[in-house]
Amino acid sequence: MLEIRKFLIGGLLTAALVSGAQAQNQVNIGAIVPSSGPFAEWGRTNTVTLKMLEKQVNDAGGVNGAKLNIIILDDAAKPAQAANNMRKLAGDDKVLAVAGPLTSSACEVTFPIANELKTVATSQASSKPGVAKANRPWAFRNTVDEGILANTSVPYFNKTFGAKSVAIIYDAKDAVSTSIATRIMPAAFTSAGVKVLNGDSPISFNTGDLDVSAQVTKLKSLNPDGIVIGADYSQAVTVLREMKRQGLMKPVIGGTPLISSAILKAAPEIPVIAPATFYATMSTPKAKKFVADLQPLLRSASGLPKDIEPSMYDANIYEIVNMYVDAAKKSGITGKPGDLEADRTKIRDYMANLKGYDGFSGPIHFGEDGDAIKNFFIVEGKNGAWETKVTGCSAAGGGC
Amino acid sequence: MMSTYYAGLFADIGILFLGAMSVYIILATGQLSLGNAGFMGIGAYVASFLTVEMHLPLTAALVASALVAAVIGVIVGFPALRLKGIYLAIATLGFGEVVRSFLLNFDRMGGAGGFHGMKHVSLEYIWTWAGLIFLLIVMLERSRLWLEMRAVHDDETAANLVGLNTTMTKVGAFGSGAAVAAISGGLFAHHYVYIEPGNFGFERSIDFVLAVILGGSTVGAGAAVGAALLVLLPEWLRFLADWRLAAFGVLLVLVLLTRRQGILDRPLLDKLRFRRARS
Repeated sequence: MLEIRKFLIGGLLTAALVSGAQAQNQVNIGAIVPSSGPFAEWGRTNTVTLKMLEKQVNDAGGVNGAKLNIIILDDAAKPAQAANNMRKLAGDDKVLAVAGPLTSSACEVTFPIANELKTVATSQASSKPGVAKANRPWAFRNTVDEGILANTSVPYFNKTFGAKSVAIIYDAKDAVSTSIATRIMPAAFTSAGVKVLNGDSPISFNTGDLDVSAQVTKLKSLNPDGIVIGADYSQAVTVLREMKRQGLMKPVIGGTPLISSAILKAAPEIPVIAPATFYATMSTPKAKKFVADLQPLLRSASGLPKDIEPSMYDANIYEIVNMYVDAAKKSGITGKPGDLEADRTKIRDYMANLKGYDGFSGPIHFGEDGDAIKNFFIVEGKNGAWETKVTGCSAAGGGC
Repeated sequence: MMSTYYAGLFADIGILFLGAMSVYIILATGQLSLGNAGFMGIGAYVASFLTVEMHLPLTAALVASALVAAVIGVIVGFPALRLKGIYLAIATLGFGEVVRSFLLNFDRMGGAGGFHGMKHVSLEYIWTWAGLIFLLIVMLERSRLWLEMRAVHDDETAANLVGLNTTMTKVGAFGSGAAVAAISGGLFAHHYVYIEPGNFGFERSIDFVLAVILGGSTVGAGAAVGAALLVLLPEWLRFLADWRLAAFGVLLVLVLLTRRQGILDRPLLDKLRFRRARS
């Protein structure tokens, strides 16, 4: 018995020494992604992206000689778990900064903790208006407010399809979708002089509904020139398939959650207009290299479809962690446990004062409200591919 | 000093413990409620409205929200008297969805956009409430009223025949359960400082029931054990990565196969007490 105890104590001591030594030449960055639950696909591709980035940084010599270690936690897209993940990463794992969480609902409860624990958190996907703004100065989002995007996508939609009227269908269980469909889009269309046929009572369904035939029949009876879909791509696919089945071949417009390769395959004949800051078939050299590196890894990962492409959120989280790595390199982060608070403040200041970070859609910096100011594209999905139609900038004055 | 991570988890346990107790009280009269997240949502929204917009102190707001939920609980309890077993469960489930959908469209409190502005509460405050309600339940379990509740649970017709007021007992249980769920909701709102209708959906109701069934549905302390396991197990299983929720499900099935009555029951509690007395 004594022997076992000695052995155990010895083992523990060695483990403590080893981890202590590691901590000195290791830079920890946290990530919160939904690897299970309704957005598991996005969370899993995020995980693969971060593992690739970790390897790339370490192969290139690490962060000022220290090894980059990305601690990835699954929040199952549940706000409570995301909040606890943030506490674990900042409190127990002593990370310098956190990438994520993905959903706006999770950000709403996680960002206040980022402020409480004085650790930067940057969301890769949240686009519900004002979420980072309510939680300054530690919360950031590498995304563009849906309201800003709609102000460019809606005029393009009206011009291209000559729409005089639109009808709305949306996923009432999802906060972002509801906000897009019941506030942002009606306002944008109304101010552009287009009639919103069911602005008072938009047609709704719920996340996970497999049959939306009744809703689409109702949509068809309104006889609109265009359809607004407020839903993420996995739900929108159900609506598009049903539209095609019922012969409602009208152009569709939505927010960033529509962007995915799956939606292009659902009903290739129906044109889909959506805003994006990245899509897998982009032609810039930086994006091409990213896709070429990441796509094979995604396709060989277990639990992911064999024809999957990198998503906008993979690009966003890749940019976020790269920004943290840059911050660690350039602002003299020591990585010593005693300097943790100072190091975290340096990352926050770096993010707040960032100028011209070289992102996939062009230069990126962060506004006063914590949201990214960057270029975005209004893309049209038709016949199985996305194509950029308009390039805009999310800054109020237009300077990106 | 507890790490902030465990402090967060223990706050979750306290909130779930309260939610589980709300189900336990109703279950003690033989009624299964799958809609307690609805009462929790009512509590969360009423308490938040009172603290943020009426500037009431939190304790007063929690008491008020519990009263509001209790009234609604009694109103729901009356039609529920006609229903039994699975039909009652489905009706309460419907009630929960009604509340969630109402909140989703209730723009006065943010609708789908959620509601902000609450002040963060301490872990101690949450557990003071959990401890207080638990104490009340322990006292209730030693009272004559409890025997009446068990009588209604075991055989409602017989309880009626011996002159017990089964209507009062059942409706009262619904009202009390609703009040406890509302307190859980109020504390949830002031722990996470943000609420949205999605927080109070069907899954939350299931968590409450699961905590009771897993921890032991015949003793109040079972709710605490169930709540702790439901919060901590998915965290402890993190090393399994993508498989953690599957493993969690398997563990649940295994526990229920070996202990149908839940982890804690009267004989086990007595045994634990006996051992302590001996040492």
